[in-house]
Amino acid sequence: FIVGVKVPRNFRLLEELEEGQKGEGDGTVSWGLEDDEDMTLTRWTGMIIGPARTNYENRIYSLKVECGSRYPEAAPTVRFVTKINMNGINNSNGTVDSRSIPILAKWQNSYSIKIVLQELRRLMMSKENMKLPQPPEGQTYST
Amino acid sequence: MADQGAADPGNNNNNKPEASEGTIIKVTVKTPKDKEEIAIAEDASVTQFKEEISRRFKAKQDQLVLIFAGKILKDGDSLSQHGIKDGLTVHLVIKTAQNTSASSSTSTQAGNTSASSPDTNPSSTAGSTGTTAPPTQTPNILTGFGDLAGLAGLGMGSANFMELQQQMQRQLMSNPEMLSQIMENPLVQNMMSNPDLMRQMIMANPQMQQLMERNPEISHMLNNPELMRQTMELARNPAMMQEMMRNQDRALSNLESIPGGYNALRRMYTDIQEPMFSAAREQFGSNPFSALGGTSESGAQPSRTENREPLPNPWGPPNSSNPSESGGATTGSTSTSGGTTPSVSNPLGINPGSLGNGMFNSPGMQSLLQQISENPQLMQNMLSAPYMRSMMQSLAQNPELASQNPASSPSSAGTNTAQQQLMQQMLQMFAGGGGGGGSTQTPEVRFQSQLDQLSAMGFINREANLQALIATGGDINAAIERLLGSQPS
Repeated sequence: FIVGVKVPRNFRLLEELEEGQKGEGDGTVSWGLEDDEDMTLTRWTGMIIGPARTNYENRIYSLKVECGSRYPEAAPTVRFVTKINMNGINNSNGTVDSRSIPILAKWQNSYSIKIVLQELRRLMMSKENMKLPQPPEGQTYST
Repeated sequence: MADQGAADPGNNNNNKPEASEGTIIKVTVKTPKDKEEIAIAEDASVTQFKEEISRRFKAKQDQLVLIFAGKILKDGDSLSQHGIKDGLTVHLVIKTAQNTSASSSTSTQAGNTSASSPDTNPSSTAGSTGTTAPPTQTPNILTGFGDLAGLAGLGMGSANFMELQQQMQRQLMSNPEMLSQIMENPLVQNMMSNPDLMRQMIMANPQMQQLMERNPEISHMLNNPELMRQTMELARNPAMMQEMMRNQDRALSNLESIPGGYNALRRMYTDIQEPMFSAAREQFGSNPFSALGGTSESGAQPSRTENREPLPNPWGPPNSSNPSESGGATTGSTSTSGGTTPSVSNPLGINPGSLGNGMFNSPGMQSLLQQISENPQLMQNMLSAPYMRSMMQSLAQNPELASQNPASSPSSAGTNTAQQQLMQQMLQMFAGGGGGGGSTQTPEVRFQSQLDQLSAMGFINREANLQALIATGGDINAAIERLLGSQPS
């Protein structure tokens, strides 16, 4: 869309919802409303498939993404549900530190949930993360 | 109208694009590698869907994990429950046996359903076995890099290379994975695949040169490109390295059993090992490659004075590198295999990790470069490092390699573009400085002895000799072949 035009929040989120359902992208991330009845389109679940040749390989990471009222002007808050060992992710509750993840720290309103998920996946492939030892598969943070 | 059944897999009957009957929908199933369109009844359950999928993708149903809109589809659910309609895409992950541990709890369930999956993550175990060798080698990586890396370390402007090296070492030691990462970096492999460069670096070490004089075998080893290549292959592959070490240990134990062999070993040790040891210690890593030794005849030929005894780890404070108790020597080398313990197959203890790469890619390097740009003094120091100089010369001589180095580093793509540029500038500067400046090693001088030999052999064209020598990096045999090739008779 046209740069500079501020798209209303709900329009944006509906677009993202549709995109999530159509499975746009490369199939390595997925996202959708946590609750289909959620009219405020605030709580989303995301999923990242761990990239090959990393210690995250073959795992499916579940996340919760919360798009606040100021989204997309403000970045969403993201939290891993599945336990993960990665830089920028709080070890005890899975919250993603907005200051350590570049696109969250320098958020732009053209970013989207998909981009956040893809970026997190890309970070899994970085040298500093790819070989971090991971907790046993299937563990989740207890919140 | 009961014939359209989701029960007809791959049935050509269902080519109605829309679920006009209200039952069949076409859902795309996507894996990271593949994509298939599957026709299924709108009101089907996830289980039925998975049956279909398992047929199509030739995988077992319980290996399938379906994801839609960020949620995992459980067998008991129905497609419509998740809002899966015609034309939408569902993601599929086929779990390979090794990583399975029923990650059923991904969405929402708190607590550990599969608390202790025995395989946990075999890929990471595999990874760690692969890296067991490297981590133990980390103590040496740093030394491997020599001054340059040392600076990279955490050298907060410290002009003392040793200190820096130690710091870097510490840093690296805290991250044992780094080594394997480093190894995988094509930059390292690049450098390692250039035998000339390696040789030059080794030869640049004055102690090495001394050593070489005393033991012509060693220089022979170095000059043999085959050997070099082999060793580099070796260094590149930690697993292979371990193999070699093991082999050579066996060979050594054979040696011992030969009458008089023990003495020969002992002699070799004192002859070769000690000087090298002290040489290496002195320089403390200024020669990162401490040695690309040849291997090949790690056989029982006691007559050869080639160094076959495992040499102690030249850098090895942490290692009880004392394979000199030749009795236990054989095991000694394996136990200290961590630190590139020089051993027969690797007389000078090449440390794969130590080769080159970290230079360009380690986080330390980045801070180094930053500091360098901030602190010209540091730069001075770097320049004056003798090792540095010869390294730069080598690089300068292989301008290709030099430019390849920063360019080929994949991570350069990332945040390191500034770093890259800086590196290139540095290289140029050093090349200029090294070539023109105080260095006394113009190709002619370096190849003086080779040139003499060549002319003694009858190759009177000094020009051509020099060219050939430069091209082969001082390797006489190769140079001769070159000359012969270009001057048919």
